[in-house]
Amino acid sequence: MPRFELLSPSLHAKLKIKSENVPHFTPVVTSEFFTAAASCPIMLTKEAETGRFYAGVVLSLKPGEPPLKTIEERGGFNPLSLQCSGFYISENNIVVDRDSPRFSDSEGGQLFTDSLQPGDNLRQIQQALGKYHAGIEMTQIFIRSLSELKLIEPVDMSLKFDNGERLTLQGLYTVSLDAIRDMDDATALTLFRAGHLELIYVLAASLQHFNVLAHLRNQQIIQSKKLN
Amino acid sequence: MNPVKCIVIVGGGTAGWLTAAVIAAKHKSRMPAGFSVTLVESPNIPTIGVGEGTWPTLRSTLSRIGVSETDLFRHCDASFKQGAKFVCWTTGEPKDAYFHPLMLPQGFSQLNLVPHWLHQKNGQSFCDAVCPQARVSEEGLAPKTISTAEFDAITNYAYHLDAGKFAQFLQKHCCEKLGVKHLLADVQEVKLKDNGDIRSVITAQAGEIEGDLFIDCTGFKALLIGNALGVPFKDCNDILFCDRALAVHVPYESELSPIASHTISTAQSAGWVWDIGLPTRRGVGHVYSSQHISDDAAEQELRAYIGPAADQLSLRKIDIRSGHREIFWKGNCVAVGMAAGFLEPLEASAIVLIELSAKLIAEQMPVCREVMDVIASRFNATTEYRWGRIIDFLKLHYALTKRKDSAFWRDNVLPETIPKRLQNLLLLWRYQSPWFHDEFNQVEEIFPAASYQYVLYGMGFQTEIELESLTGDSKMAERAMRENLAQTEKLRGGLPYHRDLIRKIREQGLQSV
Repeated sequence: MPRFELLSPSLHAKLKIKSENVPHFTPVVTSEFFTAAASCPIMLTKEAETGRFYAGVVLSLKPGEPPLKTIEERGGFNPLSLQCSGFYISENNIVVDRDSPRFSDSEGGQLFTDSLQPGDNLRQIQQALGKYHAGIEMTQIFIRSLSELKLIEPVDMSLKFDNGERLTLQGLYTVSLDAIRDMDDATALTLFRAGHLELIYVLAASLQHFNVLAHLRNQQIIQSKKLN
Repeated sequence: MNPVKCIVIVGGGTAGWLTAAVIAAKHKSRMPAGFSVTLVESPNIPTIGVGEGTWPTLRSTLSRIGVSETDLFRHCDASFKQGAKFVCWTTGEPKDAYFHPLMLPQGFSQLNLVPHWLHQKNGQSFCDAVCPQARVSEEGLAPKTISTAEFDAITNYAYHLDAGKFAQFLQKHCCEKLGVKHLLADVQEVKLKDNGDIRSVITAQAGEIEGDLFIDCTGFKALLIGNALGVPFKDCNDILFCDRALAVHVPYESELSPIASHTISTAQSAGWVWDIGLPTRRGVGHVYSSQHISDDAAEQELRAYIGPAADQLSLRKIDIRSGHREIFWKGNCVAVGMAAGFLEPLEASAIVLIELSAKLIAEQMPVCREVMDVIASRFNATTEYRWGRIIDFLKLHYALTKRKDSAFWRDNVLPETIPKRLQNLLLLWRYQSPWFHDEFNQVEEIFPAASYQYVLYGMGFQTEIELESLTGDSKMAERAMRENLAQTEKLRGGLPYHRDLIRKIREQGLQSV
């Protein structure tokens, strides 16, 4: 159960924050699509609770494994959802989940300066939170229109590695380029004017990064074999 | 050449609208070239909501006609059906019950598990040994989750629904999306051509309506196929005795009461009670043989089944006539739904027969009158086969009973009431269990061998087994049963409660992929 507290200098003067634990898949918003798509596959998947689609980037190919690319290798792309993890917005206030593993009393950097002003890392998080929340609604609109126009299709992917391991990725969806081609002119124009068409192509093209991620993971496997 | 372009369906209700939808969806691209589907419906005849149970085939039918499953749940008071539980059919004793699920036994395409299960004799029911569905459904779980796509299943399922709302739902879809013309008019006269075909129907409100192909969906009245064309009705009450039904809507105790995800059919002294859980109410009814019990006594049994909740409820009496037309397609007229025939709703066969007939008509739609008789005779052969197999399968439930407590059950096992084909199969099955070579080989076979297995061994039927014949695939059988156990546990942990899922679908919708 999350334990939410309104962020306040008095209450959280000594609270420290570590760098986030990077999961293999994390949500992204449409304003991040262009930078994200330069280094990672952007995929759609369903929320377990509601069945609704959301967009996310694939950072590693198996849950529990560290990212296959560093932030630098991703051209500096660091998903907003990760930057904000542990922090939420509630009616213009920042709320923290004290049970998030990011927070600590001993490790990491302080959120507030000794004079109880927001420190650099908190300022960055504030900015990221703002962008992320503005982006969530836009992303929902984008995905709703994909869903209504029936442009979403499931992706079945099975990857084979040199150690014989086979990974099957399930529950991932992308945009169907065939369905885009079958679209009538009026719909296409509406999507273009809404700024959705460019997002669609970026999303579809980013699928190619799976080849790179699979290659990187295979290299790691070969490396670790050599070391042993 | 006399092209067939103008299809006239007489009668609304589930049969009329479902047939209209299936034909219009299949032939939509021909509409600009003059193909039309018109449905003529009396503004004065209330539709009988036949049965509220359906078959898994309805999922593909609905998907094909382009409706959304989310809308079905929002507008038709629909719930998920994962099979049927038959209570008191074998001995009538308190714990007498078995389950007929909609999933096939594990590994069914490769392996017949019956002899292996018979050999084990470890007290586990056949259904639970080979399939997870009874456990899932008995625990009140749904057959999928909110993130499963529309019409996709985790465990196979059909629907329970409010048939009246379903017909309205289809009507709206037909008229708004599929280009079906809807006329509210009473048919007063059917005009024939010299060759015996129907030329037109004369209506009070819309005048004369001509057509190339007429589809009779007028229910028990059978205005076209029966009245106008004189095709006789073939009774089967010498096999299936039930000829009357009492129906009632029973409210739930609370809004949170669990919704059963299977039909519960409980045998009585001279018939049986159906119990179908919809999200807002239960549909309950007693089907009985008026030869064996009086209406009053039948009502008492029904009220006793429902309990104190029944006190305030009024019942609706429905006369049923079991049987079907001698032929279903004559000249340029084909009957679908109750105009074609009716059988007690023991295995929810009404709507599936409508679907299959409509599909057959749509797929084999004769291009011109000259070839119609060829299609008609195919249609008649297939449809008669289907009715025959359903009658056999319904009779199986009665023929296997060990009950002797009333004349109804004693009469049901008299050999002269059991169709010859079924008698032969029952003889065969004493020495080998039902399998693919048992003639269940038609395309779109109504009941596969698996259904016979579930009923036979649910009702304690004994088949001799030859131990030597088991060794060949005993390893495979062990594995299949182990997998079944693992799958059952996995599903029990991963599926939501039936009522919770329906609420979520109504609120949030399912995704189309």
